[in-house]
Amino acid sequence: MSKLAGDRERYARQMRFAPIGAAGQDRLKDARVLIVGVGALGSSLAEQMARAGAGEIRIVDRDFVEPSNLQRQSLFDEEDAREALPKAVAAAAKLRRINGGIRVTPEVADVTPRNADALLAGMDLALDGTDNAACRLAVSDACFRRGVPLIYGGVTGSAGSSAALVPGETACFRCLLGGEETAESDRNCETAGVIYPAVAFVAALQAAEALKWLTGNRDALRRSWLNADVWRFAVRESRMPAGQDGCPYCGAREAERRALERSLPLSAASGPDSGETRFRGSGADEGGGEAEGRLPMEATVLCGRETVQVATGLARSPREQEGILRASGCRVTAVNAFLARAVTPGGIRLTAFADGRVLVQGEADAQVAIGLCRRYLIGSADPERTDGRGTDRRISREEEGRDSHANDS
Amino acid sequence: MRTIHECKLYVVSGENYHPDRGLLEVMEAAIRGGADIVQLRDKASPKRELLRKARAMRELTRRLGTLFIVNDHPDIALAAEADGVHLGQDDLPVASARQMLGPDRLIGVSTHALPQAIAAERAGADYIGAGPVYPTGTKPDRPAATLSYISEAARAVRIPFFAIGGIHPGNAEDVLAAGASRLCAVSAVVGSPDPEEACRRLRGYIDRRQASRPPSPSAAARARLTVNGRAVETPAATLLELAAEYRLADRRVVAERNGEVVPRASWPDVPVREGDRIEFVHFVGGG
Repeated sequence: MSKLAGDRERYARQMRFAPIGAAGQDRLKDARVLIVGVGALGSSLAEQMARAGAGEIRIVDRDFVEPSNLQRQSLFDEEDAREALPKAVAAAAKLRRINGGIRVTPEVADVTPRNADALLAGMDLALDGTDNAACRLAVSDACFRRGVPLIYGGVTGSAGSSAALVPGETACFRCLLGGEETAESDRNCETAGVIYPAVAFVAALQAAEALKWLTGNRDALRRSWLNADVWRFAVRESRMPAGQDGCPYCGAREAERRALERSLPLSAASGPDSGETRFRGSGADEGGGEAEGRLPMEATVLCGRETVQVATGLARSPREQEGILRASGCRVTAVNAFLARAVTPGGIRLTAFADGRVLVQGEADAQVAIGLCRRYLIGSADPERTDGRGTDRRISREEEGRDSHANDS
Repeated sequence: MRTIHECKLYVVSGENYHPDRGLLEVMEAAIRGGADIVQLRDKASPKRELLRKARAMRELTRRLGTLFIVNDHPDIALAAEADGVHLGQDDLPVASARQMLGPDRLIGVSTHALPQAIAAERAGADYIGAGPVYPTGTKPDRPAATLSYISEAARAVRIPFFAIGGIHPGNAEDVLAAGASRLCAVSAVVGSPDPEEACRRLRGYIDRRQASRPPSPSAAARARLTVNGRAVETPAATLLELAAEYRLADRRVVAERNGEVVPRASWPDVPVREGDRIEFVHFVGGG
């Protein structure tokens, strides 16, 4: 890739900032950062990391760009929304234009306890840009298992919070907030509204801590949980508690044990279940009475936004998806290399990703969403014959999960 | 300055009960008799007139060291520098009044059944009126809530509650026996030829009842804390109990005690002690 100028020139102002200097810039060049969720916070975080010159940025997101994102998600434009590009893909394209000297690796995927560990492999730091507690718990668990710090950020309305969760130093997310037994807050960005200044403020707080961590200024890390409101202006800090004895993630003894294990090859990770409500569909909603042989589907209700994510376990190219959607009577509204979008005759919007995930928009009931996916995306296909591959994959995934769980305990 | 927790006898104005005497004269007599919180209630006067009265009441209560509350109107309360506002069920919601008045002024709410009391408490009211205990001339159209509501409130309500409605020296002991420790009177005081004496008698019943009541274990253990910037009194012994009191125990909330975040798992073990500063902050999850 051609460079506009040498790194010395490109990063001159940042290097002239004494705590970073040439040494810090060199460290940044070797740094690898995972950005979990590239929505509002994630866009800003990714851009700041790219401009700063972090050597590799891995971005993972399960969603695609829509017009309603543009008010606050700074890496996207109208073209991305028209094309309904996956956010990870659209973000990667922008980041590469911003900085051709770094590696950007997009992953279009849902972050779950099953894949969080793999996503973190090789990363020095994780930046939180997710919008839900389930995902944060999965990432926190994996971060503390691997000893990778997680810089949390969250925004609602004009308010936001941020804190650095550091394995070996602070408590983990699960200890701070409770696990699956705790209900999701009523207020999230979809139901409560959010303004971009609050996003930019919180992302700046996160990025500052990221720079400290990645440039060798770890002592300068802000060791507080910070709550702020940019409208009725107020900032409040409280000290972060240390890791909790007995916690399998941040407990001191566990951390020590893992530090030893880290030199050993890692198995696929799996932790306790997270806070998001997941449903297993059986197909009973269709009254076919043949649920036994059907492909198992898993649905996740995305908090507060009339959207259900259905994991059909059936990976197909967007062109194939398009054909099936058309054949089953849907109006196809967009097809790109990553997904196909369509509207059902009943006005429900389906977005089918190549990895087999489907976002069902306009429907908040998990079982109905599963039924819709069966009707319009599996259609007349006989799952037992044509989708044996998918079924096998599903089973093997579950076994993987079980095995690793056994390893864990 | 007095706090709402210290107040025991609440007197509400009602000028129609004393057409021949002035508002200030009657209220001053009530205060001298033992009222420690008074309210200006006047549904008839135009606002300008109301503000004039409120300012006069403020001057009086400041001089006598009594809390002063304005009925219905947060704007008048602010303009007159009153200690707070009292709201009916059909008035402004507590949250709106709180926005106008800020965290330090008092907000009281009239409640007629336990669900309203709980709702007011959750909404951040500083005290409630509970009643009408007996049928009353002040609210002729409202059926009495009876003494059973007072007993319920005594068990379930954590903020101070004042029993109100038809209470006079002749029935005050029954109301106190039902569980009230604070009384509010209107006609029995301001409609009396001797408001000072009426208050003195009511006050006498309250104080005697309080003295004879064995200090309950929970009352003895009540700690005074600051929760989200506001002084509260609580029977809670642990952070989890305190969270439960605010109905936050099952919500995604970050709790901090004296400047440090308290991990969720230790809420059951972390004690809350006199003088603690606790903050509950809703977890901000959008991204």
